[in-house]
Amino acid sequence: MEFKPVTAEILEQLSAAAPGRVFSGGDISADYSHDEMPIYGERMPEAVVQTLTTEEVAAVCKICYDDDIPIVPRGTGTGLCGGCVADQGGVIIDTSKMDKILGYDKDNFTVRVQAGVLLDTLAADCLAQGMLYPPDPGERFATVGGNVATNAGGMRAVKYGATRDYVRAMTVVLPSGEIIRLGGEVNKTSSGYSLIHLMAGSEGTLGIITELSMKLLPLPKQTVSLLGLFPDLDSAISCVPQVKLAGLDPQALEFMSRANVAEIQEFLGKEVYPAKCDGEDVGAYLLTTFEGAKPELMDEIMEQAAEVFLENGALDVLVFDTPEAIRTAWSFRGAALEAIQAKFQLIDECDVVVPIPNIPELVNYANSLEGEVGLAIRTSGHAGDGNVHMNVCANDMDKGEFLAKAEKFMELVYAKGWELGGLCSGEHGIGRAKVPYLAQFEGGVIMELMRGIKKVFDPKGLLNPGKVCG
Amino acid sequence: MNILVCVKQVPDDYVEIRLDGAGKPATAGVEIVNNAFDTYAVELAARFCEANGGAVTVLTLGKDGAQSGLKNLLAVGASKAYLITPPEGDADENCVAAWLAAAVQKCQELNDEPFDLILCGKESTDEISGQVGAMLAEKLDLPFVSSVIEAMPIDGGLSARQETEFGYIRYEVPTPAVFTIAKPGYDPRYPTIKNKMAARKAVIPTVSAAEAGMEARPARVVCLGYAEPPHRQAGVKVQEKEAAVAAAKAVALMAEAKAL
Repeated sequence: MEFKPVTAEILEQLSAAAPGRVFSGGDISADYSHDEMPIYGERMPEAVVQTLTTEEVAAVCKICYDDDIPIVPRGTGTGLCGGCVADQGGVIIDTSKMDKILGYDKDNFTVRVQAGVLLDTLAADCLAQGMLYPPDPGERFATVGGNVATNAGGMRAVKYGATRDYVRAMTVVLPSGEIIRLGGEVNKTSSGYSLIHLMAGSEGTLGIITELSMKLLPLPKQTVSLLGLFPDLDSAISCVPQVKLAGLDPQALEFMSRANVAEIQEFLGKEVYPAKCDGEDVGAYLLTTFEGAKPELMDEIMEQAAEVFLENGALDVLVFDTPEAIRTAWSFRGAALEAIQAKFQLIDECDVVVPIPNIPELVNYANSLEGEVGLAIRTSGHAGDGNVHMNVCANDMDKGEFLAKAEKFMELVYAKGWELGGLCSGEHGIGRAKVPYLAQFEGGVIMELMRGIKKVFDPKGLLNPGKVCG
Repeated sequence: MNILVCVKQVPDDYVEIRLDGAGKPATAGVEIVNNAFDTYAVELAARFCEANGGAVTVLTLGKDGAQSGLKNLLAVGASKAYLITPPEGDADENCVAAWLAAAVQKCQELNDEPFDLILCGKESTDEISGQVGAMLAEKLDLPFVSSVIEAMPIDGGLSARQETEFGYIRYEVPTPAVFTIAKPGYDPRYPTIKNKMAARKAVIPTVSAAEAGMEARPARVVCLGYAEPPHRQAGVKVQEKEAAVAAAKAVALMAEAKAL
């Protein structure tokens, strides 16, 4: 399919569909040329339309579809795989102004939102309503629509699962401009193919999500966070399966190396996780949260969990059990990526997910590549669900040299992930950066099936072309 | 050195408190926590005693239920804690200082030794009057330094580093003394599991107002009401492409608004 350019006439039509919210040429902010990983390449779209309603999205899609113009949906652009970059030109549909919480059905534990509402806004509003929106991706200023489109995971995925597990219903605009509603505000369904689950994680290649009904949970009454201080990464990671085997059901379970923590400390200018414990150097940390109904129950959980940590080599365990302490412990962890970004000029990353018992082998392997690859390697991530974030970083290096070294690292570490029974991405998605690696993991037949599905939704291949399955 | 830290329990200051229909702060459902400046005081006291010897006692004037806040402090450096129930009724800062003065005497009696240093946070994060520490020093007739961020032992007393808007002032005082504590250059520690579990199991002695020799006192300062600050007006966006042009426009706008 040969794409057509955005002409003055098309711009006029777009302006009629979204008056005052169409930008082109020099009026487009440079932010639209990349996501959070500009290293995968930058390109300005030919036009940006900030939409306010599903009908506007539909009108814009129809204009583009009729004229063979690529359409790229975008929330706040916080993705990590170049998924919202218009690398083949065309029109970006920016849904971030569709940011209304439309209403709660508290008896049915659901909330209806426009796709552009921020995760941070929704999570806080649900808390104020006395309810929990369980998905908890680290990037709080992503849109909920974007979270659904990438099936974002986050810290609490170990207990609650990823974003797709909370999607009850959605309104979607197909590339042709047709509006469809998928799912319903029901607890179960056995009603044909689950298109809603096909749409979740499709990264804007099958349709544009404009409204969502999301499932909520009652707010946990009590929570406590524990920080295990370990002499080295191996003992910390090896402890992870033991926490789960002990039946403790953590809400979140994260690991961090001392190098990561030192960088976060430098970035935030304060020490929260101690570097030493009774004179011994701390090499790695496990941060976990448990929840329960009563304070007495929390004492029991705390004691049991600490025992598991200590029996598995922890030097000591710190307790975070006041609102301020829990916030501090987790916001420190949440600054991991920002701290790396502040320290290094060049960064590439991958987020392979492996079966939990295989985490130590993957992490140790990735860390061992530092010398061979010639880049700084930082591993951290969601220990409790096997999702490891691996960053390769450098300063004062030619970009071409960095990319070549990063590619070498990626090839090795993806191969290891495959060998360990893993999958290409746990939560960041494929975008355009990881398409070749997805193909390696999935193989030709599955990639062809994906392309076939794409063709059913988008026969002209105009919607976010080149992403996910190429 | 024996140090007493007076700790107030306040609504979690991370939560934005609005006024309810009756014009009162709507704090229902907001978790009650130890006042942040008081936790800095406990950390400063704990560090002082670790370096120079001594013990930290914590005291809260409050009702049943306030024990859990005190237990949190027993896990991070305090070795003794007392909960004293004040008399019923509204209290102004003068009342609270008088009750604290009586409570200090009672805690000394229960500890069977006097305090060398009494600390309060420089203010509470709920009412932010910042008066109680100074008034307490007056009631006890002790030397007083406000906004202290560091205390060091000297012969016959203490050296205190006070933080001001313009820098620092160093004072020397004989002990016993009263200090209020500002935010030092470090954060309060987090408890280890061993300390936390021991603290959770601790029994906090509870003393009634009568046992502490406190009397109901008429408040001489009466709060008439609260008002929220006016909502901020929508700002003006300066969207010039050139930084120099944008800065010039911003300066012109501020000059026009007489902000410069």
